[in-house]
Amino acid sequence: MPSEETKERIIKTIDLGRTLLHYGWIPFIIYVGYTHSNPQPSLVKLITPLA
Amino acid sequence: MASAPVLAEAADLPSTSPPPSQSGHLTSPWTSWYHRFASWRRALDLPNPGTVENLQKEAKLTSLNNYFFDGARADINKTLSANPLFQVTHSFALGSQSAPPSYNFGAVFGSNNVFLQGGIDHEGNVNGRFNQGWSANNVSKVQAQLSEQKGHSMIQLEHDYMGQDYSFNVKAMNPSPLDLTGIYIGSYLQSVTKNLALGVETVFQRPTPDVMESTTSYLAKYTDSDKNWIATAHVQPGGILQTTYWQKLSEKVEVAADLQMVTLPQRRDAIATLSAKWDLRMSTFRAQLDSKGKIAAVLESRFAPTFAFLVSGEIDHFQNAAKVGVGVMVESSPLTPEEMGLQAPPQL
Repeated sequence: MPSEETKERIIKTIDLGRTLLHYGWIPFIIYVGYTHSNPQPSLVKLITPLA
Repeated sequence: MASAPVLAEAADLPSTSPPPSQSGHLTSPWTSWYHRFASWRRALDLPNPGTVENLQKEAKLTSLNNYFFDGARADINKTLSANPLFQVTHSFALGSQSAPPSYNFGAVFGSNNVFLQGGIDHEGNVNGRFNQGWSANNVSKVQAQLSEQKGHSMIQLEHDYMGQDYSFNVKAMNPSPLDLTGIYIGSYLQSVTKNLALGVETVFQRPTPDVMESTTSYLAKYTDSDKNWIATAHVQPGGILQTTYWQKLSEKVEVAADLQMVTLPQRRDAIATLSAKWDLRMSTFRAQLDSKGKIAAVLESRFAPTFAFLVSGEIDHFQNAAKVGVGVMVESSPLTPEEMGLQAPPQL
């Protein structure tokens, strides 16, 4: 059994990971898509629904 | 490790005779039996039965449960790159009887072996999907829902393996590395003859560290030799049965039937659903009738390669209620329709 201290650290790491994923997942996909696209789109076209 | 070269060698041999054991003293009777069994299995030449998740796929694609909507809806879809696929979607929904108005932004990226998908709604809830294909037969999947509210987040880790004549899948939902609580699901589907596949699915539930429950259910799938019709059954002990039947009547018409029965001591219930799908030249029409007195239809009409119009309606005859929906789908893209792989409008 891990000690109380490691348990707490694991819980904190999971919470941090969840927060990172929550705020970072969509920007991450957009970054990956933007850099790998062929041809590379302009940033304005990417975000606005009307352009 | 003598087993790898022996295996590679066995694959090239005619499958009826057991492979000669050239690795001498390393070959035990067990490995020779294994090779005999493996070559016998290869000789049967059974097809891969498909994954357990896709057991009822054809029937689900015909039924309109996943396509029905009410109120008004607009989807603006932008394909920024076709290969690798990169798409962003803005969806607006309004005036639905069952859901509050919502805005959803989605992004999809897909290359040959990686698939990333994410969506965020106006309340800040994020859902995401990540698939990684390691080889043609091995796919790992992660699915997550993240919310500011406590207890609404969930994550699911999954691995799919598709063998020559079997598939298996393991899933873990909300696994906790500290006390191993969570839901774990393992499933295995094996082709028994060229048409019939049988399988089992076991669900282990561990809501708290000292409670462990498991239930096993059984699956069967019969695929016609021409793949013109498919029948499936999913039986859960205790009396829950779900059966589907799907048939392709012609190139453009598919029909499906679904029967769900619950015969638990405290509840006896059954729903039968009949649905049909027509794929017309520029539109798709789905209609559905069920034993609860509901009749529903969805028409998706593509006026131009970049513009589609949707109408849906449902009448509940027993409850005396009705739902109507209209929607538009706009495809705006810097790419030409040919680059996106869309078909050109028919010349009249």
